[in-house]
Amino acid sequence: MAFLNIDSVKERTFDAIVIGSGMSGSWAAKELGEKGLKTLVLERGRDVKHIKDYPTTNLYPWEFPHHGVIPEDVQKANPIVNRCYAFGEDAAHFFVKDAEHPYVQEKPFDWIRGYQVGGKSLLWARQTQRWSDFDFEGPARDGFAVDWPIRYKDIAPWYSHVEKFAGISGNRDGLPHLPDGEFLPAFPLNAVESYFSKHVKTKYSRDVISARCAHLSKPNPIHLQQGRAQCQERTLCQRGCPFGGYFSANSSTMPWALKTGNVTLRPFSVVESIIYNEKLGKATGVRVIDTNTKEAIDYHADVIFLNAAALNSNLVLLNSTSNRFPNGLGNDSGTLGKYVAFHNYSAHISAEVEGFEEWATDGRNPAGGGYIPRFRNLHKQETNFLRGYGAGLSAYRGRTSSGEGIGDELKQNLAKKDLGPWRVGSHMMGETIPKESNYVALDKSKKDPWGIPQLKISVDYDDNDAKMKADYLAQLTEMFTSAGFKNIKGESDHRAPGLDIHEMGGVRMGNDPKTSMLDKWHRLHACQNVYVTDGASMTSTSYQNPSLTYMAFAARAVDHYVGEKKKLNS
Amino acid sequence: MNRRIAIRNMALILGSAAVLPSCFNDKKGKPVVELKHLEIDADQENLVTNLAETILPRTSTPGAKELGINLFILKMIDDCTGKEQQDAFKAGLKEFDEAAEKKYGKSFNQLTQQERTAFVVDLEKQAKERGAKEEAAVKADKNHKPEEPAKLDTFYGMVKGYTVFGYTTSQYFMTKQVVYELVPGRYNAMFPVKKKATA
Repeated sequence: MAFLNIDSVKERTFDAIVIGSGMSGSWAAKELGEKGLKTLVLERGRDVKHIKDYPTTNLYPWEFPHHGVIPEDVQKANPIVNRCYAFGEDAAHFFVKDAEHPYVQEKPFDWIRGYQVGGKSLLWARQTQRWSDFDFEGPARDGFAVDWPIRYKDIAPWYSHVEKFAGISGNRDGLPHLPDGEFLPAFPLNAVESYFSKHVKTKYSRDVISARCAHLSKPNPIHLQQGRAQCQERTLCQRGCPFGGYFSANSSTMPWALKTGNVTLRPFSVVESIIYNEKLGKATGVRVIDTNTKEAIDYHADVIFLNAAALNSNLVLLNSTSNRFPNGLGNDSGTLGKYVAFHNYSAHISAEVEGFEEWATDGRNPAGGGYIPRFRNLHKQETNFLRGYGAGLSAYRGRTSSGEGIGDELKQNLAKKDLGPWRVGSHMMGETIPKESNYVALDKSKKDPWGIPQLKISVDYDDNDAKMKADYLAQLTEMFTSAGFKNIKGESDHRAPGLDIHEMGGVRMGNDPKTSMLDKWHRLHACQNVYVTDGASMTSTSYQNPSLTYMAFAARAVDHYVGEKKKLNS
Repeated sequence: MNRRIAIRNMALILGSAAVLPSCFNDKKGKPVVELKHLEIDADQENLVTNLAETILPRTSTPGAKELGINLFILKMIDDCTGKEQQDAFKAGLKEFDEAAEKKYGKSFNQLTQQERTAFVVDLEKQAKERGAKEEAAVKADKNHKPEEPAKLDTFYGMVKGYTVFGYTTSQYFMTKQVVYELVPGRYNAMFPVKKKATA
């Protein structure tokens, strides 16, 4: 028996363990595997293999039983995920169903999740903007949260590193507050978007740029080596892309990691906790619950990369208790689970556009249109709220078809191909300020189906968010009016936090171990062989889509770890 | 626009979401289509089929029945709407048939195609007028509370809505009328068109 145990422990021992196979975990796995470390990747959901496991990817609209509509009983059973814009008949299989993975909403919070290999990288909106020092210096300048322990210069090379591999399209716009990257050609603005861009540049010195996105507009050899091909402008990305036209863990980083021969992927493995050894003063492994057998199994490694997605990374640390860390692994500061923040997407505006009849678009724009980088409180504080917002901007022109009448008249109305007028719309992407009162914790009594405490979420908007939203609506209304757009309708919706799918924080970075969880290399201050490089590590949120930053964090942290290891060994 | 009016107009004009479900356990004969929730009989099923075919008749191109849209409507109502909408659908169906009976002395299913068409045209006209009136009333007085739409209108809106939705997402329409491309392989942001030209 003793021998068996030893063998078994050997089989369950790796150089590194990565928890999570999504946006950031797959990057950690790729970098570790490439550097020759025997790595175990733990994924709580099922395996999703590129192309093979995209069952809807080539279906026509009429091939779906309800032509795309989610049946009522599914909607009723899933009030939370049903609010997500991408939860349709074509992609429902990549979303977590409400009842299967319960959590506690101390305040309303729409937690949208994708539990499978690749995680939410199959479902993201693929927008990728770099941060700048306007963002990393925000807390220090504006006096909230704590100072980031890093600056743009620390992360810039790692943005380049991940951009080259993932494939990011964009223009070199030369904006100090939205640094240029390693770009493939951008998807151009259409006639109305271009007009608006020129107008607000001239009139307001504000920018509207082509949205920067993780699509292979023109693949480089490195992308072809991954087995990916040029984006086909299908805009059916949420089904999984058989061309690998956009970046997902499934099409890019995970297969690459597995190809190194150093990486083992274990799906159906919910992480219960990280194991801390008090004698050694470090983490020695991870305890998982096999979701099929409900069996608890321990895996061992020299280093743990925690990339379970922001709130689940919080959960894992909170549930990793020991005599040394009774309140969660690395939680000497007491800040674990606190200072959770998100993005505010709760306002949008639309209008009609006169003119430009000589232009239309042909095909589909996978970038979605234009992007308005932050223009508020940028160089100085100029409003009654802190920080700022970015915005999407897109113009479109449809057919003049209508459903008027019956009989032949109706048929003709529906088949009309004449082009109607242009319309234009924008949605707000606001920064929210991390606060101690916005927190997650373990529920004392409720457990999930694997016996792990449920996460309790207590996160809400504040006065700053309300003022920022009002400013977005006022500024965009003014810009639209000035551009000559008509029938402008600004609307605020009452969505709960979470629906932005950009929850962040709880395991924040900082220079001072007394007020933060992670050091400048993403290591727990108090347990230095555990790295957290997903959204949990965010000290503040800025307004940009966060995934690109998580990818850069993960690659940089692995490089740091391997560098330290070499130093020790030399 | 007031939400209620908006919904009614949308149902009448567009025909996407919003409506009812059910299954047919018949009293007057078994319906063809198997339904889980919506309970209607063969007569009622025929009425929906006849109405769909009146809205979208076989002309030089296929109609609702030929494209299976009559069954699609019932499937959508059965699967994709709630009990409240299904109840409204059933009540409206009854009112619809009673209105035909009142006007012609026979049920909708017994009407000639011409009579059915005249009945539906008139129905749309009246609903439109009521909608315009409500809208004007709201414009004049922001606090004006529009009346609940008649069950008959709700029923008709649902049938028309799903007829239009089923038709415009049908293989026939998307391959022969507008030509849906699964893979365009292009994005031309500045595509020149003549004024009033086709896409």
